[in-house]
Amino acid sequence: MSARTRYALERLLLTIPTLLAMSLFVFLLIRLVPGDPVRTMLGFRATPANVATIRHQLHLDEPLPTQYIAWMGALLHGDLGRDYISHAPLSQLLGEALPVTLELTLLAMALALAVGLPLGVLAATGRGPVRRLTDGFVIAGVSIPDFWLGTLLVLLFAATLEWLPPSGYVPFTSDPVANLRYMALPVLTLAVGEAAYILRTTRGAMEETLGAPFVTFLRAKGLPERAIVFRHALRNASVPIVTVVGIQFGVLLGGAIVIETLFGLPGVGRLTVTAINQRNYTVVQGSVLVIATMFILVNLATDLLYGWLDPRIDEVVER
Amino acid sequence: MSAVSTAVRSVTVRGNRRTRAGAAILAALVLIALLAPVLAPHDPNAIDPSRILAGPDLSHPFGSDALGRDVFSRVLFAYRVSLAVAIGSVLLALAVGVPLGLIAGYFGGPVDSLLMRPVDLLLALPALLLALSLISVIGPGTWVALFAIAVIYLPIMARVVRSSVLRVVNEEYVAGAGARGVSRMGVMVRHVLPNSLGPSLVQASVLMGFAIQIEAALSFLGLGAQPPTPSLGLMLADGYQVLQQAPWADIFPGLAIAIAVLAFMLIGDGMRAHFDPHGVSR
Amino acid sequence: MSGPLLTLDGVSVDFGPVSAVNDVSLEVSEGEIFGLVGESGCGKTTLAMAVMGLLPATAAVRGAIRFEGEDVLTRSEADRRKLRGDRISMVFQDPRAALDPAYPVGEQVAETIRAHRPVTRRAAREQAIRLLGEVGIPAATERYRDPPHRLSGGMQQRVVIATALANEPALLIADEPTTALDVTIQAQILGLIRELRDRHRTTVVLIAHDLGVVAELCDRAGVLYAGQLMEVAPVERIFAAPQHPYTKALLAALPTRAAARGALPVAAGGVPDLADPPPGCRFAPRCPVRMEACETVPPPVLSEPGHATACWYAAQGAPG
Repeated sequence: MSARTRYALERLLLTIPTLLAMSLFVFLLIRLVPGDPVRTMLGFRATPANVATIRHQLHLDEPLPTQYIAWMGALLHGDLGRDYISHAPLSQLLGEALPVTLELTLLAMALALAVGLPLGVLAATGRGPVRRLTDGFVIAGVSIPDFWLGTLLVLLFAATLEWLPPSGYVPFTSDPVANLRYMALPVLTLAVGEAAYILRTTRGAMEETLGAPFVTFLRAKGLPERAIVFRHALRNASVPIVTVVGIQFGVLLGGAIVIETLFGLPGVGRLTVTAINQRNYTVVQGSVLVIATMFILVNLATDLLYGWLDPRIDEVVER
Repeated sequence: MSAVSTAVRSVTVRGNRRTRAGAAILAALVLIALLAPVLAPHDPNAIDPSRILAGPDLSHPFGSDALGRDVFSRVLFAYRVSLAVAIGSVLLALAVGVPLGLIAGYFGGPVDSLLMRPVDLLLALPALLLALSLISVIGPGTWVALFAIAVIYLPIMARVVRSSVLRVVNEEYVAGAGARGVSRMGVMVRHVLPNSLGPSLVQASVLMGFAIQIEAALSFLGLGAQPPTPSLGLMLADGYQVLQQAPWADIFPGLAIAIAVLAFMLIGDGMRAHFDPHGVSR
Repeated sequence: MSGPLLTLDGVSVDFGPVSAVNDVSLEVSEGEIFGLVGESGCGKTTLAMAVMGLLPATAAVRGAIRFEGEDVLTRSEADRRKLRGDRISMVFQDPRAALDPAYPVGEQVAETIRAHRPVTRRAAREQAIRLLGEVGIPAATERYRDPPHRLSGGMQQRVVIATALANEPALLIADEPTTALDVTIQAQILGLIRELRDRHRTTVVLIAHDLGVVAELCDRAGVLYAGQLMEVAPVERIFAAPQHPYTKALLAALPTRAAARGALPVAAGGVPDLADPPPGCRFAPRCPVRMEACETVPPPVLSEPGHATACWYAAQGAPG
């Protein structure tokens, strides 16, 4: 079996304990709430009768291990529980919210890469003015809180110019154009900060690679600069870049939570925040689980991509 | 302690331009925060119906918000909370993370796995999500936010210290100290620790910058500092409500956040060359 | 072609205040193996990079470097790039650092061919496989696809040499090609270089700090110290009748000769600070026979047929 395959399998298998540990953490969340979580959750709707029913449904009076097994069992059957306030099954609520979050994060990351990568390469190979400009962009992009940027963009594009709507959402499948109009500002908001990070990482990785001895030899071979930068340097720099992108996805997911709230997008992030504010614990549990799973899967994908890209992967696996 | 004095020296004497700029800004902000009661021209909580959504003028340089409160004074007081949470949370993460990383890196083997496994599990969740989870259990508030941010950064600090220790442990002076008969604890504390701290200081500075952003995000969502405690995030949330009529209520608090983050970033970046030449920190 | 293949005429290289190479003049004739010797940091590599045109932008080069009659220093970067890998090639010291870790070794040879010749990918590939075989890599067709780290140091260096010779250059500069390799492999690589020179009539400039290597392989040699050329002569003359005090010191320090005397002689003092070098001969501070003129006035070059020495002491009535 090749080193790459072995590495891929290793990563896949390691994901399982991570998912389990994460599920344990999420499971414990509700059960660590001081007082009676069900009573708090139901609030003014709490009656001795329905509190008891729900406690029974959630197995809260049974020993912890039994609870966990029951919960995991239901999970593996696709039953994420239900929202006891709206009475909707969580799989439905989350199923509707997930595509929104996915669209937001994927579009934002795609845009950030489309802008950050080329600018990063340019910054690494360009002259003084280009470097200063990108330096400024990076500093600004990293310091400015993304939700503040969101408000500024709303001020400019929605309030003043009235080109784009400040909030709202329409699914892509119903009306693609309207969907993109609603998504434009949120995606842009998230993408700017992310692009700054990608630019910085790309620039750093490219500079380091271009300073490596093998690049001098490439020049000694008389290869055109373009081939050196794109065919050789970028390929070698892609390894650290991919690693950072994977990490940044987590940050992006966090940012999405806030951005969804700001722009009123019905994604998993906003669902989480609303649920926390309402003390709607089962919903919190479900949405945290979903977001965390997304994060772990993206990390897995990044790891696999890294394994495919790193030429020295045999040595990594050997260790 | 040598690392701290070197830090101070590098900032004041040899200081690189970025660090000095960042440190100057930070010093100014800390001063402002500490002296807020003296510097603020108005009571930050004073409601003034006659000045609702009034624009900036000489006595109210940042304008007034939806309740007629002076935005400038509120920003000054909000800095106290933001800086306190940012600095406090990272210090807490350092206090727990440094010993953790030190022991894990120095002893290695099963001790390392035992200590770092649970810490790494914390990294399985995106930072903000982890903070939100903790807040959902404990309830919102300034102190909760501080604790939650410390928990988020604990694994990062521990990892940075551990990587740094792993590098130092292989240096000859460590073996030398051991050969001279210094106890393991002694070697660890007196030789390994001071020399490993560099990258963690850089990381701490960068994380303080992020902490300001996270605290602002949490408050923005209504899950951090609660009213009447002034907070930059809360001010942004309120300011967004009146964005068109009074953009200054949104612009100035946001600018305040950005400047604070910038200061920490500059300090961290500037220190990097001297304290973390091997790029252990992120 | 008449005249030497490569002429360095008063070449100096400065990096800001640091004078890395100072007024070096020498000639390399077609078909010979010319050795450039000196201790680490004496400017050998800098000189080689100057010929190749691979110095960083911070370097200031003065003088003339004539290759096949033309001064390359006056040519544009685009023109110089065309020469590299085609007419003039270079082999570096550490093959591990020279090869792109992400690329199959065969590809790295083939792309050198494609960069300078209008050939198809397949033709370049076949040519590359042939070259790999020629430099002694077994099972070349299979090894073509290997990434560099799957090959041993010696094999990697052979790949580097194959790359350098892919387009049959007139001049090959080999910068300490065996320093990073095991002693047993060293001999093989040097043998390979000589063999290829014989077969392709390539002129070779071999940079080394090891006089033994120079003795074995080179026809003529130049001795460099702190950026100045001290002596140039056919190799037998350098060993049999060295004229420059520095050359003599180098030879005296060779373990084989010194072993008999029991201790390695050490020249007192250290290498001068290149940011503030002595204006005259740079070896003067350490020279056992230095005279007043040595430290202030650049030494004259005492020229006999084929043997040049830059030394006041040698110039003043030292026999023939």
